[in-house]
Amino acid sequence: MELHILEHSLKVASIEKEGIQICTHGLIKLAFLASKTRCKFFSLTETPEDYTIIVDEEGFKELPQSEHISVADATWLALNVVSGGGNASSSQPIGVTKIAKSVIAPLADHNISVFMLSTYQTDFILVRERDLPMVTHTLSSEFTLFRVINGETVAAHDLGVTNGFVKPKLVPRPIIHPLSSPSNMFCVTSLDPDTLPSVATLLMDVMFYSGGPKEPGASGEDSTHIRFFSFSLIEGYISLVMDEQTAQRFPHNVLFTSASGELWKMVRIGGQPLGFDECGIVAQISEPLATADIPAYYISTFKFDHALVPEENIQSVIVALRTKSTAQ
Amino acid sequence: MSGSKPDILWSPHHPDRYVICDSELGLYRIGPVCSAETKPGSLPLSEETAATLLAINSDTPYMKCVAWYPKQEPECLLAVGQANGRVVLTSLGQSHNAACKELVGKEFVPKHARQCNTLAWNPVDSNLLAAGLDKHRADFSVLIWDISSKFAAETGVAAEKSRLPPMDLDSGTTVTKPLYEIGQNDACLSLCWLLRDPKLLLAGMHRNLAIFDLRNTSQKTFVNTKAIQGVAVDPHFHDRVASFFEGQVAIWDLRKFEKPVLTLTEQPKPLTKVAWCPTRTGLLATLTRDSNIIRLYDMQHTPTPIGDETEPTIIERSVKPGESQIGSFAWHPSSQNRMVVVSAANRAMTDFTVFERISLAWSSTSSLMWACGRHLYDCMEESAEGAERAAEKDIATKMRQRAQSRYGHDTVQVWRNHLLAGGNDPQLKSLWYDLFYILQWSAEDAELKLPGNKQSLYSGIKNIVKSSSGKEVSSRRCWIGSERQTDVPRYHSEERSLALRLCGWVSRGSDIDVETFLRSLEQEQEWERAAAIALFNLDIRRAIQILNRGLSSSPAGDLNLNVVAMALSGYTDEKASLWREMCSSLRLQLKNPYLCIMFAFLTSEPGAYDAVLYESSIAVRDRVAFACMFLSDAQLPRYIEKLTAEMKDAGNLEGLLLTGLTKDGVDLMESYVDITGDVQTASFCMLKGSPGEVLKDPRVQCWIENYRNLLDAWRFWHKRAEFDILRGKLDPSSKPLAQVFVSCNFCGKSISYSCSALPHQGRGFSQYGVSGSPTKSKVTSCPGCRKPLPRCALCLMNMGTPVSNCPGAGKSEEKADLTRENKLAKFNNWFTWCHNCRHGGHAGHMLSWFRDHTECPVSACTCKCMQLDTTGNLVPSDSS
Repeated sequence: MELHILEHSLKVASIEKEGIQICTHGLIKLAFLASKTRCKFFSLTETPEDYTIIVDEEGFKELPQSEHISVADATWLALNVVSGGGNASSSQPIGVTKIAKSVIAPLADHNISVFMLSTYQTDFILVRERDLPMVTHTLSSEFTLFRVINGETVAAHDLGVTNGFVKPKLVPRPIIHPLSSPSNMFCVTSLDPDTLPSVATLLMDVMFYSGGPKEPGASGEDSTHIRFFSFSLIEGYISLVMDEQTAQRFPHNVLFTSASGELWKMVRIGGQPLGFDECGIVAQISEPLATADIPAYYISTFKFDHALVPEENIQSVIVALRTKSTAQ
Repeated sequence: MSGSKPDILWSPHHPDRYVICDSELGLYRIGPVCSAETKPGSLPLSEETAATLLAINSDTPYMKCVAWYPKQEPECLLAVGQANGRVVLTSLGQSHNAACKELVGKEFVPKHARQCNTLAWNPVDSNLLAAGLDKHRADFSVLIWDISSKFAAETGVAAEKSRLPPMDLDSGTTVTKPLYEIGQNDACLSLCWLLRDPKLLLAGMHRNLAIFDLRNTSQKTFVNTKAIQGVAVDPHFHDRVASFFEGQVAIWDLRKFEKPVLTLTEQPKPLTKVAWCPTRTGLLATLTRDSNIIRLYDMQHTPTPIGDETEPTIIERSVKPGESQIGSFAWHPSSQNRMVVVSAANRAMTDFTVFERISLAWSSTSSLMWACGRHLYDCMEESAEGAERAAEKDIATKMRQRAQSRYGHDTVQVWRNHLLAGGNDPQLKSLWYDLFYILQWSAEDAELKLPGNKQSLYSGIKNIVKSSSGKEVSSRRCWIGSERQTDVPRYHSEERSLALRLCGWVSRGSDIDVETFLRSLEQEQEWERAAAIALFNLDIRRAIQILNRGLSSSPAGDLNLNVVAMALSGYTDEKASLWREMCSSLRLQLKNPYLCIMFAFLTSEPGAYDAVLYESSIAVRDRVAFACMFLSDAQLPRYIEKLTAEMKDAGNLEGLLLTGLTKDGVDLMESYVDITGDVQTASFCMLKGSPGEVLKDPRVQCWIENYRNLLDAWRFWHKRAEFDILRGKLDPSSKPLAQVFVSCNFCGKSISYSCSALPHQGRGFSQYGVSGSPTKSKVTSCPGCRKPLPRCALCLMNMGTPVSNCPGAGKSEEKADLTRENKLAKFNNWFTWCHNCRHGGHAGHMLSWFRDHTECPVSACTCKCMQLDTTGNLVPSDSS
């Protein structure tokens, strides 16, 4: 297995819903006019609370300074697991489940806080830049490490710092945050970048106008219905996460759908904002899923975390996680 | 390819069909323009060819890539990769036979939709179709489909999970289970099957190139690189692969896969297509975005594999098929170097052939060869006969003939060399006469003055005239045989008479007497020239006499001579006479330049002789001599200067009289060689007459070396040896020092030179004329330690040759005693040995051994000594 440390220096920011109009210019540029910026990593996730932006330093320049925007003070690096050998035989479970044991659990054991971003194409594990020596040290035994420098992949060496690392504490990880499961179903999809202009207005509508405070009545009808939309444009690849109703607004044949047309249900983690320092949250969720061999997507936002699991598995997931949290 | 970016594919089996795909597929047939002219809808592609649209297929939207089925049957079956990752088989304009019907419409659907970037049919197992897709977190990016698979059994299982409308998976034409899945969680941007093994697939993945082996899909050979687009195997060299990234093409050798063996010069715009020419080895065509040219890289002469040190030779050039920007191009699969280009904007197509660079080679024997494409042309010089044809002959032929006739080797009667050269080149004639007079003068000069005096170096009339003391002695002389006083001033000085001598007009001596020269001219029947010179010496009577003699000697009777003689006799110095008037106007009608200048002289004002001095068909020597007689000290150097410059520019060898064999002379010779290529004359001439420092001029050395190489190339080895001997005589500094010595196995000293250093017993005998054993024993043992020299492998005798030339050898009578035969050891007795096996013997024995054998005469040695010597089998083509 190869672990690639990507060259993007990432910022994680939150834009309040009320402040979104001052940022739309920059966001539209980042999302739809990729050729006009030098940004290579852009992700926007809308939750009922806020908009979470993950963007590289080039892209960050496009955003204005405002009291509506809060930025996590750390710089983040993205890690990406590539199955170098390509073990074709085993049909591995999708997403974070696959890397739960190999990446997420060891990082949690070493008290390294991670920020997850799953996309249609791959999973990005964001770690703080200052944690990098610890990360490489932790993962070098399991992975061949590569660093991407100026687009060239070069072998990264363990930085050789072994002193001062605390021994991992191998303790069971109970789930400590409250969980909720909204009723709507989601699809994770993508589209051909060439067709992006044709659906740009629709996407803008979905991003900036569909949700918001003008539909409190709608959410009142179904209190467990959640407003959640994610768009990312990373190294030329587009990934979209949206609920079923939103997906139906897109023209036929534009969105990539899997052959089985699977749908996903969400598990939302956290009763109050989780912050960036607590570690082990992803591990708490992904480990039981990995044990149960259930595929999942995991999207962290500024305030809460979101896991997506296949709809047919949602009940068993809830049961499994509940037992985990009550077992303590 | 979507919408704006078209692509072209040639049919793998029909040399006249190709498909253009942009938003739809269009099948075209290409044919000669005349037959298509009548038909409407034919599109001209070039002056000779036109295309006809045969069929259009627009069944497959969102096309991303297309690949043509490689087998003959069913023809025109295309695989189309779509934006959602599906691969559809479709067909164009064919009567759907059974095999085709079964396949057309078949769809291959990946588990997760994403763009299909590339498609590649396996060239051997044509059921296998590889598709390269974009990245998906949980899916594979390289899917290899078996097109013959009978719609996967588990479609039912999949459909159960599926929420897609059932129509999408109807009728069992959809295959969802690939034969192989490779490259999990990665993107595949380009694919090609390796020709060296049909089980190997080369894929340009995200940030690496990987070779997958279908026999073990969990293994891959890969190299991290950015150049992952457009992988293509060289059809002529199966280990060579091209790929690109943005503007840069990388060439890989699969045997040395760690890094590219070559990277081509980066283009400012990103590349869009790279393709090896299928009909010509090592030719790669590349296309960049928004460009109207196709760049070609010729790697034919690039060594493979490329070493680390060698700088590879790649010839880069570009072709411009038209003015419009090129969308795509495709090499014709069989027509040599032919391609069709489609424009980016309006599907306008151009059919054109890339012309091969012509490589040309002159042989040293004046035949010319050139190669163009697959044709080789040989151009031989016609065997010219007759003198006038000889002048047109190639200089190489001339030089070769002259070398055979020992041109340049007559060092005593130097002027005879022009006869050796064929005697029909006026420039050479004048050159060798000049040299003759010059050498004669400097020999006399050396006699008169102290040896080693610098003055004896000939530096040309130009310098002689310049150094003229300024004493202007002019005299008005009478016309010889008449009482009339001329008004023509004639100048005298020591330098002027020296110049006249060098021009050959007067011979040695203080008095100016041209009679000897006139007689020699008469002998050579140069009547006009003789008459003119007589006239310039103010002897009209003699001139008329000469003309009369000329008239009587030639049986045909040149009427001109007669008329001129008559006209001359009527000479009057009256300024306004009718004679003068008529002569000056009618003289221009005279064909012979000498006759013409005679009247020019008689009719011009004193000191204004331009009509004589600038008559270019008059020999330079005569003009210079004339100038020395009649131009004043002010006029003369100016005229000489001007004439010298003129001669230098024209590379006229007659000018050497003026420049001498100085640096100026080398300049003149340089332009002569530039014009004629005659390094032979240049070498000989410079060797003959030049002082040492002029010979050191790199140009002179270059001519000499080139002439030697030329002699070698003609296999005129004896001539070259002769030339080297001559060169060593004339230019002692050119003698190479001995660089190779044969050393004794025992004492390590050279066996050739030490004989004089050590007194030898045998020598004492020979001094007294006692011949026999002591002398013989001497040559077969080392003169240093007297141990025996090695034995000949054939006759088993100790080798050794009589020492030919002992430096500082004793008495002179001993030297004189030696005849030519004795002095030089016979070649048959020379030492020879093989540098490979170190066995050897007498040269004569060895030569006769290898006439019948290929292996070394020493038993158990299998060295093929003679075959290792590449020049050993050549024979000299000169016989002397």
